[in-house]
Amino acid sequence: MKPSLAIPLALLTLAACEDPHRARKVSVPGHEGALKTTATLRADRRAFDGAPPVIPHGELGAACTSCHTVRGMAVPELGFAPPLPHGETSGLSDASRCTQCHVFRREESLYVASSFAGLRQDLRRGERQHDVAPPVVPHPIFMRENCAACHAGPAAREEIRTSHPDRENCRQCHVSAATELVFAR
Amino acid sequence: MWNSDPDRRRFLKTLGAGAACVALSPADRAEAARLLAAGAFESADAALAWHKAPCRYCGTGCGVEVGVREGQVVSVRGDEKAPVNKGLLCVKGYHLPGMLYGEDRLRHPQLRRNGKLERISWDEAFDLIAKEFGGALEEHGPESVAVYGSGQWTIFDGYAALKWVKGGMRSNNLDPNARLCMASAVMGFMTQFESDEPMGCYDDFELADDFVLWGNNMAEMHPVLFSRILEHKRENPNVRIVDLATRRTPTSNYADLYVEFRPGTDLAIANGILHLLLKKGTIDRKFVRENVVFKRGIEDLDTIGYGCEGDQAEQYTFKDQAQASSLEELEEFLADYTPERVSEISGVPKAHIDALARIYGDLGRGTVSLWCMGVNQHVRGTWMNNLINDLHLITGKISRPGSNPLSLTGQPSACGTAREVGTLSNRLPADMLVTVDEHRAKTEDIWGLEPGTIPAKPGYHAVDMFRALSRGDIKAMWIQTTNPWVSLPNLHRFERKPGDGRFVVVSDIYPTPTTDVADLILPSAAWVEREGMFGNTERRTQHWDKLVEPPGEAKEDAWQIVEVARRMGMEHLFPWATEEDGDWHEPMFEEYRRFTLGVGKDLASYEQLRKARGLRWPVVEGKETRYRYAAGHDPYVKKKEGVHFYKAKKNGEKAAFWLRPYHPPAEVPDAEYPFWLCTGRVLEHWHTGSMTRRVKELHQAMPEAYVEVNRADAVELGVQDGQVVRVVGRRGSIDLPARIDGRGATPRGSLFIPFFDESVLVNELTLDAMDNISKEPDYKKSAVRLELVSS
Repeated sequence: MKPSLAIPLALLTLAACEDPHRARKVSVPGHEGALKTTATLRADRRAFDGAPPVIPHGELGAACTSCHTVRGMAVPELGFAPPLPHGETSGLSDASRCTQCHVFRREESLYVASSFAGLRQDLRRGERQHDVAPPVVPHPIFMRENCAACHAGPAAREEIRTSHPDRENCRQCHVSAATELVFAR
Repeated sequence: MWNSDPDRRRFLKTLGAGAACVALSPADRAEAARLLAAGAFESADAALAWHKAPCRYCGTGCGVEVGVREGQVVSVRGDEKAPVNKGLLCVKGYHLPGMLYGEDRLRHPQLRRNGKLERISWDEAFDLIAKEFGGALEEHGPESVAVYGSGQWTIFDGYAALKWVKGGMRSNNLDPNARLCMASAVMGFMTQFESDEPMGCYDDFELADDFVLWGNNMAEMHPVLFSRILEHKRENPNVRIVDLATRRTPTSNYADLYVEFRPGTDLAIANGILHLLLKKGTIDRKFVRENVVFKRGIEDLDTIGYGCEGDQAEQYTFKDQAQASSLEELEEFLADYTPERVSEISGVPKAHIDALARIYGDLGRGTVSLWCMGVNQHVRGTWMNNLINDLHLITGKISRPGSNPLSLTGQPSACGTAREVGTLSNRLPADMLVTVDEHRAKTEDIWGLEPGTIPAKPGYHAVDMFRALSRGDIKAMWIQTTNPWVSLPNLHRFERKPGDGRFVVVSDIYPTPTTDVADLILPSAAWVEREGMFGNTERRTQHWDKLVEPPGEAKEDAWQIVEVARRMGMEHLFPWATEEDGDWHEPMFEEYRRFTLGVGKDLASYEQLRKARGLRWPVVEGKETRYRYAAGHDPYVKKKEGVHFYKAKKNGEKAAFWLRPYHPPAEVPDAEYPFWLCTGRVLEHWHTGSMTRRVKELHQAMPEAYVEVNRADAVELGVQDGQVVRVVGRRGSIDLPARIDGRGATPRGSLFIPFFDESVLVNELTLDAMDNISKEPDYKKSAVRLELVSS
């Protein structure tokens, strides 16, 4: 298999510098002032790729799902609240118990320094059989059933943004690898 | 990482081919270039291997897949094939890898000489332990040595300790920290069914209609199991949750009925429910007639006492005496527990007591009772366990899919190691007791020891063990995988004085207040740094392989014990090649397994467990058991239908219903100390925080302990949210920030403090009162006052 063509597109061209550790406002039609994250910021918020992100804002006094809806929501003064990636089909998840897995960052210092070096996101994954074949889904689907949460809309990072958000049934073409083995009789 | 040139060229080519298609922002481009230069992204070809393991923390026993690359744990994900959690974890589980990599991991054996720690070799360490323990045995006898273990011990660790202490040193001074957490549940099951551990299992989370939580904040303490309940409720709107509690918790938010009661009055409430069940006739008389006998024990408060400092003798040795009772006597006994009187005692409205009676009494609906520390850490914890089991016995709601009492556990192998291996001062494997001649004989036979090797007198239970250490009756003690100088109640009582003549060894993975007072510190291998097996709440035994090397010279606890036993001339106890990474785990487990076969506690084979995502015992002919004592489920039940409590030999193979009265707590608020103090955990931290505080995300989310104060009390005392206040009790005082209406909310006159923070030792305030039967301390009910701290 070849590595995906579409996924790592963001990585090549050199240009002006901005602090990748800060979210910045982007202009997305219909969502002026949306805050957009970068790959570095994404990594800052996770212990390792696949870990639930910490909550990047303070307590706002509202239920998480009042802003983090299935389609996300523009919140005045704050930016765009990304959609909920956990779909209705997520089995055990209960959308209203977000803090079971996502915690606030109330403190910047560490209790004790750590040498933990977690898995980083692999932007080259998403293998495809040939140049125009749809890439396979390079991560587990569980708890990520709402593909559009990360791959479409104002909150989607450009490296992984879909070119065809209107086709909502993503898994019609993009399958998830259930095994690393190849077929053998 | 970018080690391979062809890899890199291919990647750059790929990037070039696609670059023209997408409009990139300048920031993305800049970041991309920087990351590329730094080699920050993973190579798809780098070998990342995934392996199964149970989570390291609580008794739920979630399955995780551990991502290992180049000898390091780099990732963890919920195991979708794990029947316990079906892919979901809690925030502690998702951040497991960080637990291994705190920079202050203990890496080498260290001996304290003249107040300073010096690095020594393993050989020196083992020789010293052998000398000190051997010397104490010779000079003062087997009662002068002790091992204090853990519900976090693997089955291997616990079995090695049991064999060394009871079969080698001929002492019963072996007790685990599990004595502080689930001993009351053990004694509940043992006194009623003569066999420990639940009859039900997690399948009930999708089968029950009503869930009654007795003092159990599942949303924080067993979050994945609570998620299963909530998911079931979402799909079945008729499902109800009742939260009986002494403070509002995140669990209360999901309850259909929240029942707030005064601390300790759950005894009265349970009796009040029984009163109404009998009065309304909503009991299963046929079930009771066929399967239940009635009993009562000593009920006089003065005779029983509370076993705490200043209350009774230095050693608390109360023994209950059973006498036969009957359903008729029960009716008389319960006459006092009218809704009016129970309401008066507990503060619970009569309507709520009635609602509870209707839930248990609706014989058409499945009812599961759940409890953990609220019931177990209770001066009458065994009685409370008895009463909850009684509610299920009287209604026949037991050993039935969707209807069971299910006691939850707080440690990953409280069941598998402490309870099943039997690392308690009065126990032997598979429900056996040191006080029973045949049980000792069977153990000696399997171990190939001379008859009479194991003493018949039980050793010290946990609290008494530390009292004996303070007195000097115990000369040498080895503590593994636990942190008693944070977790014991009434901590001041156990302070060590320099030059006290005792020898204390501590095996752990990080420095703690317990290693601070140790004479010898040994570095242990943690979790997937060694092979292991845990047994969870639902009788599921789970195996994992060693996946990475431990840091420095750290070694697994079982191996440490075996090496010391060899040096004490007890190599006959461990006749397997126990060199590092030798294949001794399988023969050790298969020897232990012999205790379990044929007695209804049958464990699966080592080979089967290595492959499975855990199996629930009894495992007979390779098949696990979901419901014990139930026809059609339990292979030991030969009946075509119904239940058979075949383990309860003393009662004609019937379960015992115990009549248990209400007794007040040992210490109650008064004019001088007007507040209740309850201690416990929070979602982010596990137990004394020695592991979870070293995980960045968990520490940053919950960096310090706090005291939860009721808003009206705060207003009255002039306490602001976040203000540092002083909590003063009879035994000590601590300063910490107040939190008003945080994630929990205490009722007026009541405080809550979590115990994970070693810099604010809430156990300097708690009372060392304990349950009369299980000897488990009550961490939930002390009296304190709140003071402002002048700045």
